Amino acid sequence: MTVAASSPQPEAPRRRAQWRYWLGQYAGLLANLTPPLLYLLAFFYAPMSILLVMSFWKSGYMTLRPGFTLENYITFFTTPVYLKALSNTFFIATGTMLALIVVAYPIAFYLARMRPRYERLILYLLIIPVEINFLIRIFAWKIALGRSGIINSALMAAGLIREPLGFLLYSKFAVGLVLMHEWLPYVVIPVYLALKGIPPEIIAAARSLGASRWDVFWHIVLPLSVPGLFASFVLVYIPMLGEFAVPALVGGPSGYMLGNVIENQFLSAGNWGLGSAIGFILLTVTLALVALVVKVAGVEKLL
Amino acid sequence: MSVAGLQVTHLSKRFGKKVAVQDVSFSVQPNEFFCLLGPSGCGKTTILRMIGGLLMPDTGRVALNGRDITFDPPEKRDINIVFQNYALFPHMTVYDNIAFGPRRQGWPEDRIRREVGRLLDIAHLAGYERKYPRQLSGGEQQRVALLRALITRPQVLLLDEPLGALDLKIRQQLQLELINIQDAFHITFIYVTHDQSEALAMGDRIAVMNQGRILQIGDPRTIYEAPVNRFVAYFIGNTNLFEGTVQEVVGAQARVAVPEVGDVWGVCPHGAQALRPGLAVTLSIRPEKIHISRHEPRQEGWNRVAGVVQDIIYLGVSTEYIVRLGQGPTVRVFTQNLRPNGDHAEAITWDDPVWVAWRPAHALILPD
Ligand SMILES: Nc1ncnc2c1ncn2[C@@H]1O[C@H](COP(=O)(O)OP(=O)(O)O)[C@@H](O)[C@H]1O
Ligand SMILES: [Mg+2]
Repeated sequence: MTVAASSPQPEAPRRRAQWRYWLGQYAGLLANLTPPLLYLLAFFYAPMSILLVMSFWKSGYMTLRPGFTLENYITFFTTPVYLKALSNTFFIATGTMLALIVVAYPIAFYLARMRPRYERLILYLLIIPVEINFLIRIFAWKIALGRSGIINSALMAAGLIREPLGFLLYSKFAVGLVLMHEWLPYVVIPVYLALKGIPPEIIAAARSLGASRWDVFWHIVLPLSVPGLFASFVLVYIPMLGEFAVPALVGGPSGYMLGNVIENQFLSAGNWGLGSAIGFILLTVTLALVALVVKVAGVEKLL
Repeated sequence: MSVAGLQVTHLSKRFGKKVAVQDVSFSVQPNEFFCLLGPSGCGKTTILRMIGGLLMPDTGRVALNGRDITFDPPEKRDINIVFQNYALFPHMTVYDNIAFGPRRQGWPEDRIRREVGRLLDIAHLAGYERKYPRQLSGGEQQRVALLRALITRPQVLLLDEPLGALDLKIRQQLQLELINIQDAFHITFIYVTHDQSEALAMGDRIAVMNQGRILQIGDPRTIYEAPVNRFVAYFIGNTNLFEGTVQEVVGAQARVAVPEVGDVWGVCPHGAQALRPGLAVTLSIRPEKIHISRHEPRQEGWNRVAGVVQDIIYLGVSTEYIVRLGQGPTVRVFTQNLRPNGDHAEAITWDDPVWVAWRPAHALILPD
């Protein structure tokens, strides 16, 4: 203030004072945000932008010519095998997500009502398998699911089947099963936390107002666990859409996903333009889906 | 024998080794405002949960209008509960919260809409239908919780410290509203509180509890003026307690020797039959029953003791004097501030020698 009053040209110093005030106000925030912002800029936004630009370049085997063409996108939407990969991807991810919720919800539900001692034990039991090396897990599943694997041998020995079941390995089923194993704790834990946060008095109040156990679940518990379900959806569904390792190892010819196509374009086919275009198609569909779920589930209302 | 109302007989509940409720029996008349009063952890909530069907008793029975409901699930009882922390459904609007009970009973939606609107008007919450609980103040949330529990007109409403989380002014206002609502709706209230002034102000009858047991059931006046034991006298209101030994019993009165104070004549509120010379007892004398004066009082038959004013606490409506009796204990005395400038008629001040005096009928002799 005093600076402004004594100055012959009030504007400039005033502005400098405001700038310093602003800096003083936000310096801490800025200092805290700058490293992650720089990190995101360098390792996420910059490569993404390069890929986005490349997806419009004319490209063929090991060639890439700057320009603007929709050729890569047209190629994707006119090639049945790519569209099949797209539908496979959503089929596998959606099916696995639904199966995960069906399996994880009861686990979370009983976990949330358990005595603290057992509660912790089961949480550990749930988390430990995630720590096992990815390849070991995959090969364990191969041993279990193969044509002469444990499951088929046991079923045949029991006389329940005469031929080994073929769909157990190298199939969409196998991909879904292995993905479920990988992601189960990431669905259980957010739902468990949401359920744990429901005050018992709310349930008691609902019961005393005439709600049966089923009414309580349907009208109180389920709606209040939606934020947990949404968190696990974001945590699990989106990475599953981009999955390529699991389908490559246990998916076989029928269980391949868009991630395998993208990987193939970059690493084998050498068509970076097409790979980028498919990546952006996947990203767009994913974001649209998240927006839809936010809207339908009414998550903002609860957060 | 009449069986209308709620009967609780020989109710007990343990949690592991801890006995939370021990052989509790009482019955509540239709439309009665019944208070369960006791310190934190004495088992009030546990009793309420057993009446509401949220907890099964180890032993004992709960009956409503003569029908045994001990093991009925909560939704099958015509009993609703209001909690201290409101327990509103956070994902539902005020309207949906209040409509929850009626919907479970299958009311048509237009009846629900009419009734919710009417109740919101009564509770000064008109226009709040579409708000969410988190947008309301504590007092407003508790009103909504109350309407939600009342709308289906249950026979009994259980209230577990419903005003405990609110500040004094709102609490006093809601106390009045609760009494009016109870009158208007003809619903039996069982009201749990640890606040003795709330229980005195609201209850038709009060059950005083300690450590899982009911010590005394009575109307507020009886509980205050004729407590059955030392704990009830101590817990309700303010009092002066002295330990002593019975010297002689004359009719309804007895002479009790109190060390450092001298002999005090008192009465046993529940009959002098149990008193014997040599029995150790507690004397309870309410501070407002004691007269304080610079001059030796002349009232016939009163107890009188000389002392020195040790402290004076001005409380607006009254003044509290703390008087040391000889070298012995102190006694608290309340006098009303009737004079224009609020001080005592005799302008008693610090270190003044004074006399305190009280009727034998106001020195209650209590077993421990
Ligand atoms: N679910 C429970 N498990 C173990 N102990 C409990 C449980 N509920 C209450 N208690 C114990 O029982 C006693 C009575 O509790 P409560 O009825 O909540 O008292 P109040 O409502 O009078 O404060 C307390 O000592 C409390 O610790
Ligand atoms: Mg309690």
